[in-house]
Amino acid sequence: MEGASYARMPRVKIRELKDDYMKFELRDTDASVANALRRVMISEVPTIAIDLVEIEVNSSVLNDEFIAHRLGLIPLTSERAMAMRFSRDCDACDGDGQCEYCSVEFHLRVKCITDQTLDVTSKDLYSSDHTVVPVDFSADPSSLESSDGRGIIIVKLRRGQELRLRAIARKGIGKDHAKWSPAATVTFMYEPDIHINEDLMESLTLEEKREWVDSSPTRVFDIDPVTQQVMVVDPEAYSYDDEVIKKAEAMGKPGLVEITAKQDSFIFTVESTGAVKASQLLLNAIEILKQKLDAVRLSEDTVEADDQFGELGAHMRGG
Amino acid sequence: MVIKKPGHRSSLDDANFDALRDLLKPHIESFDHMIDAGLKTMFIGIKPLEVPHPTQPTTLKISMDNPKIFEPQKERGFSKSRNILYPFECRQAKISYTGTFTAELCFQYDNGPIVREKFNFGQFPIMLQSKLCNLRGASPKKLVSYKEEASEVGGYFILNGLERVMRLLIMPKRNYPMSTVRSSFSERREGYTDKAVVIRCVRADQTSVSIKLYYLRNGSARLGFWILGREYMLPVGIVLKALIDTTDREIYVNLTSCYNEKYEKGKGAVGTQLVGERAKIILDEVRDLSLFTRLQCLQYIGEHFQPILQGLKNESHHIVADAVLRDYILVHLDNNFDKFNLLIFMLQKLFSLIDQTSVPDNPDSLQNQEVLLPGHLITLYLKEKLEEWLQKGKRLLLDEIEKKGATFEFGRIADVKKVLEKNHTKGISTAIENMLKTGRLVTTTGLDLHQRAGYTVQAERINFLRFISHFRAVHRGSSFAGLRTTTVRKLLPESWGFLCPVHTPDGEPCGLLNHMTRTCRVTSFYDSEGNIKDYFKIKLSILNILVEIGMTQSLPKIFLPGPPEVLTVLLDGCIVGFIPSTEVEKVVAHIRELKVSSAAVIPNDMEVGYVPLSMGGAYPGLYLFTSPSRFVRPVRNLSIPSTNENVELIGPFEQVFMEIRCPDGGDGGRKSPFPATHEEIHPTGMLSVVGNLTPWSDHNQSPRNMYQCQMAKQTMGFSSQTIQHRADQKLYHLQTPQTPIVRTRAYSEYSIDEYPSGTNAIVAVLAYTGYDMEDAMILNKSSVERGMFHGQIYQTETIDLTEKGGKSDQSARVFRKSKLDKPCPSIDSDGLPHVGQMIWPDEPYCSTYNEVTNKTYLFKKKGSEPVYVDYVAVDTKTKKNLNKVNIRFRHPRNPVIGDKFSSRHGQKGVCSQLWPDIDMPFSGTTGMRPDLIINPHAFPSRMTIAMLLESVAAKGGSLHGKFKDATPFRSSVKKDDEESGSKSASLVDELGVMLKEKGFNYHGCEVLYSGVYGTELTCEIFIGPVYYQRLRHMVSDKYQVRSTGTIDQVTRQPIKGRKRGGGIRFGEMERDSLLAHGAAYLLHDRLHTCSDYHIADVCSICGSMLTTTFQQPRKRPVREIGGLPPARAPRKVTCHACQSSKGMEKVAMPYIFRYLAAELAAMNIKMTLKLTDGVDI
Repeated sequence: MEGASYARMPRVKIRELKDDYMKFELRDTDASVANALRRVMISEVPTIAIDLVEIEVNSSVLNDEFIAHRLGLIPLTSERAMAMRFSRDCDACDGDGQCEYCSVEFHLRVKCITDQTLDVTSKDLYSSDHTVVPVDFSADPSSLESSDGRGIIIVKLRRGQELRLRAIARKGIGKDHAKWSPAATVTFMYEPDIHINEDLMESLTLEEKREWVDSSPTRVFDIDPVTQQVMVVDPEAYSYDDEVIKKAEAMGKPGLVEITAKQDSFIFTVESTGAVKASQLLLNAIEILKQKLDAVRLSEDTVEADDQFGELGAHMRGG
Repeated sequence: MVIKKPGHRSSLDDANFDALRDLLKPHIESFDHMIDAGLKTMFIGIKPLEVPHPTQPTTLKISMDNPKIFEPQKERGFSKSRNILYPFECRQAKISYTGTFTAELCFQYDNGPIVREKFNFGQFPIMLQSKLCNLRGASPKKLVSYKEEASEVGGYFILNGLERVMRLLIMPKRNYPMSTVRSSFSERREGYTDKAVVIRCVRADQTSVSIKLYYLRNGSARLGFWILGREYMLPVGIVLKALIDTTDREIYVNLTSCYNEKYEKGKGAVGTQLVGERAKIILDEVRDLSLFTRLQCLQYIGEHFQPILQGLKNESHHIVADAVLRDYILVHLDNNFDKFNLLIFMLQKLFSLIDQTSVPDNPDSLQNQEVLLPGHLITLYLKEKLEEWLQKGKRLLLDEIEKKGATFEFGRIADVKKVLEKNHTKGISTAIENMLKTGRLVTTTGLDLHQRAGYTVQAERINFLRFISHFRAVHRGSSFAGLRTTTVRKLLPESWGFLCPVHTPDGEPCGLLNHMTRTCRVTSFYDSEGNIKDYFKIKLSILNILVEIGMTQSLPKIFLPGPPEVLTVLLDGCIVGFIPSTEVEKVVAHIRELKVSSAAVIPNDMEVGYVPLSMGGAYPGLYLFTSPSRFVRPVRNLSIPSTNENVELIGPFEQVFMEIRCPDGGDGGRKSPFPATHEEIHPTGMLSVVGNLTPWSDHNQSPRNMYQCQMAKQTMGFSSQTIQHRADQKLYHLQTPQTPIVRTRAYSEYSIDEYPSGTNAIVAVLAYTGYDMEDAMILNKSSVERGMFHGQIYQTETIDLTEKGGKSDQSARVFRKSKLDKPCPSIDSDGLPHVGQMIWPDEPYCSTYNEVTNKTYLFKKKGSEPVYVDYVAVDTKTKKNLNKVNIRFRHPRNPVIGDKFSSRHGQKGVCSQLWPDIDMPFSGTTGMRPDLIINPHAFPSRMTIAMLLESVAAKGGSLHGKFKDATPFRSSVKKDDEESGSKSASLVDELGVMLKEKGFNYHGCEVLYSGVYGTELTCEIFIGPVYYQRLRHMVSDKYQVRSTGTIDQVTRQPIKGRKRGGGIRFGEMERDSLLAHGAAYLLHDRLHTCSDYHIADVCSICGSMLTTTFQQPRKRPVREIGGLPPARAPRKVTCHACQSSKGMEKVAMPYIFRYLAAELAAMNIKMTLKLTDGVDI
């Protein structure tokens, strides 16, 4: 067991960071880890979402299940989620999901008394916990036009219609239901490695160069206005669609460019629903990934596997 | 970004449903006309009833007049206030939408003064949106306030709360003599050939009488017509002579006028030398009967028909003969000269058919067909019912006179009225209502119709397309459904532009149930301004115009020359004159010009059926039709230069002889002597509304478009915008539908966006996980959880205490909860469920209480899934107690494995997995995961290229924030104003550029990464949004499982039927396959253990299993030993026959075997079993 450790030290470099958006590089690891991270971010990081709706009065045009479903999909600020308990293993309330450790109560009481249509939005939800509230996008200056600070619309009421309900939000994960997924999109791409065969490239006329450059739907290459040389502008715009390679072959110049994917560096894009900040989402994901690995390492099966697989088993336990 | 969609409306005020309304004009206009004028015309057609007093010399003449139908109103016992009845109330209360029908009876004693008395004929069904409907003319906003759809189109009836549409039926074209060859003709009588000329004559009141002119092998002809279910054949000569005062010579010259030696065998010559000889034979026949004058002929006819015709027993033969000629022979004409001329023409056509100088007309071709409209059918059915009523009234009157004698004052109208009112006057409207409810005609005469049932169908609202298709459907007639031959089902070129070649169902009704194309209309009694056409004026003006431009008018005693020199002109089956054949093309062009110009008196929907001279083609002539219920469609007349007013309405009869080109600017390969005179307006005019909704259907293999037409009608969508006011048995509803990104122009034109029926799903085409094999599809679990394809079924239960049961104590029942029985949380104290309440299967949802018997009855929910109570509607008509309740349930139906989905290209599939989002492949650049995965094998053999185009176009459209027009046949339309005309070399190039602009692959492919491994998939994946529909076939309605359960009483085998928890038959063929596999144990399990396993006692001595009886153990005092329960005594079985209990064996067998033994025993056959232990057989 004294052999070399296979452990690698992945590095993360954050490129861009906003509340609901993050772009970072993940290096020195392989696809399995990158994909595990992606999967965990989408489906394992817990958030809080409305799970139980008790409808007192509903005279709106939408039926009860429809409204309950819509309420469930409203993202709630879930910084607390990691610390909260799943209501199924909450001791305080015997798992009925009504205690402060595992649930947050919401109330909605709206009645339309004017002739104008009343929009019931996520802002009309009153939370029993000020840390768990519907995500508010109105603070974001980029979304000025879409909403005048009215939140996510739940239902519209006309004169005389009323909606009164009590909702209980619980902790959950995206695997159980998409409403608990904190990530709108998590994706990664392999960092491309682009080598232009300069000699071959020089054999092209400017016309041909331009044609070749334009063959890529994304702007990966461009022509230097001064030297008239083809250069790589944005390697990450390359989507591995092989268009330029096919083009080069069609032009009779195979090998004009060589593009390989670096197997150990990934560029991640994370978009959050707003429930958790994008940065926190990543941290939570790593935390959960760790916990899951711990669970594997500490489980009885792993000890058995250790006997069975020897070094590999030790490696699995982090040796 | 706010995207304004093409057909978008911001409020109800700018909603425009005119194009939609136009689609069902045939229904509404025909009903409107019935109300406006049809009934009046029909009343004139009803013969006055004459009731002679048996002893006194007075005769009472009763005629009908002044029919009136009122708007639907509520019945309100005492209050006189007018209460308008609205359709939604009828739907909810399960009553009929009817208005009072009254008419006046005119009584007249022996030319005395006419006395009018009003009669109430009951509640007459009213078509929605007709002139009498309370919704007529209401704006969309107003309609919404009446709890209707904003686009409520009407055209149907509401009967007992059900919406029923009258089916449009194909009829032979009226007033057009058709040469027919049918083998059954030769079986009529000895000497008949299989050839005849048939004409269906229609009177002004829409009643029709068909007559046939048979050709006999000896060269003569017989005129056949039906009276009360029997056909009578008259020698045509007698009829000719009886019609007018004429001479043999005149008839001979008239008949032979179509033959001229000069033109023999030339182009367009229809007569041959033989015509003269046949004329002689016809005349000889009459002479042989020694009938020489008209009077003699009339006498002859009268003599023969006196016993057959009703009510003419005491009249002179002359009058009877007149009645026969008037009522049965060429009834569309009211002039004997016209009848004579037409009969001559028919004879000439018949002879030409025999001599093969013209071809028979095809009765299956749309060219010789028209359509039966709702208003017309109701009119003629009502006429018969009224005539029957009058006849019955007469009988009643005569009975009354006989019974009461002098005490009954025949002379007093009040008394007569009293008798007539006993005659169940309200039954008239009830008969109509029943006809509409059942679609069945109860008739003695047959009304010249070929079927008795199937005239109405329920207007299902599975979705809007299904609903609207009911009004566009045209059925060939149920009598053709049983035919073995496929000729009637064939798609003939004559129906081009009128019937959609794509929109016909597969299977049994294929080709019989067609749908009218988008542009096809049906002529009505109304002109384009909505005024009733004055046919008399129209006829006069047409005649004037024709005479002006060179027609010689036909007058009595003027011989009719025939083709090829001149062409006969028929106007609605009446010979009006003839035109020199050299002039006729000019004349036709001129008439067409007048037709199109709005100023002229010629109606714009007149059909100018110019059949040109030909070598043995169709019988030539100029046939003009102005009648209603013909198909017409608009085309552009090229000879008229103006841009606006050159749209001409053409019919299927004339279309065959016209040169109509495609609007692509080419000539369609025409030869120069036959230039195109007309042009199609748009190629999509050949498709039905539903057929028009398939994007780029011109890029699909044609059967796929047919499948889509079927599937579009069974998608779950927004079936109605007024679900909360409806009480349909079953309503499908999609929770979050979308409007398609790729759409044809028909979507906006027909306001389909009011009733969307699908979702733009991101579809990836790849073989992933294997769960997408064989047309299965993988849905993204997260997409489904976010609401994709969510839907529900609304189901209404109506509980009516007044009609339930039939016991005497029905009035004593009320809705109430039982106070004594165990508490039932789902039912409130009023016996009804709470709204929003969840009801589990077999849970009670409603309780009634019988106050007399003190019994409660609980209504339990059937089915296998929990439902929600959506709505409870109570009938508040009676103030005392509720006795009618509608309870609407909501079945949530979110997608599960086994549910059916389809794209708009006939590509259906079943959901095989709800696949986790993280395991779905994802795009590296956008992070997009597909909503749905289908297998690439769905494409090569089916060739639904349009689906691929849709995917690319929708991707481009969504990237650019634009809807994409996918109207088919774009390349076949001249591009004068289209900006894209120059650059679109091909469609793909246009779409590919859209993608490339936004940095996507030109062909719509993307590099995807495996969701499980995070590695790049070896192939680029074709991915893009496709509009997917959820079909109404769901596993929850279909799955059938059973381990044990109910068994049949007789056979002890499991019962069948899903509803009753039965099993699925393991039949002969299934048995064979197991035998072939040698799966003996499984076979035994299926057919025995799980079926009717039975252990029988068999007597091994006599071999019988029926004589064994079970001996009841004698009741002995129970000996209890130490408190132990007594050991069960062994069952003792004895054989009756052998009188012993020895040799009893237990044998396992199917129970049905014992049953067989019993059945055989009943026939005195004994069955013996020989039992061995299986060792030495």
